[in-house]
Amino acid sequence: MITLENVTKTYKNSTVALRDANVEIAKGEFVFLVGASGSGKSTFIRLLNKEETPEKGHIYVAGKDIGQLSGWKIPYLRRNIGCVFQDFKLLPTKTVFENVAFALEVIGRPRSVIDSQVPAILDLVGLGHKSDSFPTELSGGEQQRVSVARAFVNRPLILLADEPTGNLDPATSVGIMKLLDRINKTGTTVVMATHDRGIVDTMRRRVIEIDRGAIVRDQARGVYE
Amino acid sequence: MPVKFDYLLRETTSNLGRNVTITLASIMTVAVSLALVGASLMLRSGVENATQRWQGGIEFVVFLRIDATQQQIDSLNNDLEQSPEVSKIVFVDQEQAYKEFQTLFADSPELIDSVTAKDLPPSFRVEPVNKEVDAVESLGLTYEGRSGVDQVVFASKTIRLIQQLSSRLTVGIFVIAAFLLGAAGLLILNTIRMAMFARRREIEVMKLVGATNWFIRVPFMLEGLVQGLVGAFLAIAALAAFKPFFQKWLPSAQDIPLVGGFQVSGGEMTVIFMTLGVVGVAIGAIGAGIAVSRFLDV
Repeated sequence: MITLENVTKTYKNSTVALRDANVEIAKGEFVFLVGASGSGKSTFIRLLNKEETPEKGHIYVAGKDIGQLSGWKIPYLRRNIGCVFQDFKLLPTKTVFENVAFALEVIGRPRSVIDSQVPAILDLVGLGHKSDSFPTELSGGEQQRVSVARAFVNRPLILLADEPTGNLDPATSVGIMKLLDRINKTGTTVVMATHDRGIVDTMRRRVIEIDRGAIVRDQARGVYE
Repeated sequence: MPVKFDYLLRETTSNLGRNVTITLASIMTVAVSLALVGASLMLRSGVENATQRWQGGIEFVVFLRIDATQQQIDSLNNDLEQSPEVSKIVFVDQEQAYKEFQTLFADSPELIDSVTAKDLPPSFRVEPVNKEVDAVESLGLTYEGRSGVDQVVFASKTIRLIQQLSSRLTVGIFVIAAFLLGAAGLLILNTIRMAMFARRREIEVMKLVGATNWFIRVPFMLEGLVQGLVGAFLAIAALAAFKPFFQKWLPSAQDIPLVGGFQVSGGEMTVIFMTLGVVGVAIGAIGAGIAVSRFLDV
């Protein structure tokens, strides 16, 4: 599903964010990216989403070399990838329903699809009853659920999560992780960058550790350290 | 992917509504600058129409008698063409004279109705080699006594002055209008940039979930187009309302001899209005295009 071949990414201020990375992630895998702040986890995620372009190497997502992807095709790549962030990125002027519906609306899905898909996904994340609330009326955990719903409503092949529990307390984090686990069980590949030792050690999934841009560990059923 | 009409309508109107003051400022700037352009085009048309027979270096006109024979006309034509002192001649027959008459007196249809082509004399418009006043006059007078010639009429200083004044005025107004149009373009650019800033979260989410670049851009492009178009429409409305005053305000045919009224025909107005519409849309499109390509990082 995801392949990185000798990928190097250097930022303009000559920080090496990722050095000669080689990774293969199969369909349906659940992968944790761990490492200190600034180690290159976020860059890894942004490369997969084509928010960044590597200088060297090839990145294949769903069989396509995305390094060669022309600009106008990027949106179509992103329709196969859901994204969840630490800061949720919800639109404060829209209700929960509208936030999720927005993701379908702007890729041209018809109203009938939106009206059937959005309530279904809100039920899945356990927020069916908060459909008309605004994000500011929700707890952090609930907001992150909305964000997961938005990322998953289009049934992407891949879900990328950049510190999704970074702003949540441990109990709430567990809820989010259960949700991501459920999504993973539907066959969606999940790549999650995290600092949360407890989560990684409990879930015992594949762990890729990045240290100053280099992949120093790739371990099946791994732990945080 | 088809971009939905109701989506575009909603997004564009909400963008325009978000920054009412700055949107109005850019629309007004477009309107004022285009109104200036339009007014100067009208002035130019008016002066051109009024001094039609005195354009292109024509210094005097030899009017023939209405009953001049073809032979007399041919012989005069021959002499004028052979003369080393004449650089160019234009023959205006009765039909052409009538057409000009119709333009000149477009505001008095009863006059046009009472005159036919047969009532108007044919004429030769002459551009002499030497344009000194004395030389022109002595050359012109040599044709006055000829058979078939009714009279010779010279371009007066007034006409030259009007032409000069109008061309300089037109250039001056155009320069001012160009600056204003530039300002209008920058204002539109800035309005759209602000709209983008106000909607940066939406734009970010749209990119993340895979909205196409055009889907994101089109509402902003439309916003610029609407501003340009509304500005042009205001300018056109103002000029249409102003047109009767414009024609009254300029000196009429009676005040200056040898020229007709300062008429701008309906056809010319249509062309001017269309020009303004096109320029308005272009300014909006350019402003929006720059904003979208520079500040919308998709």
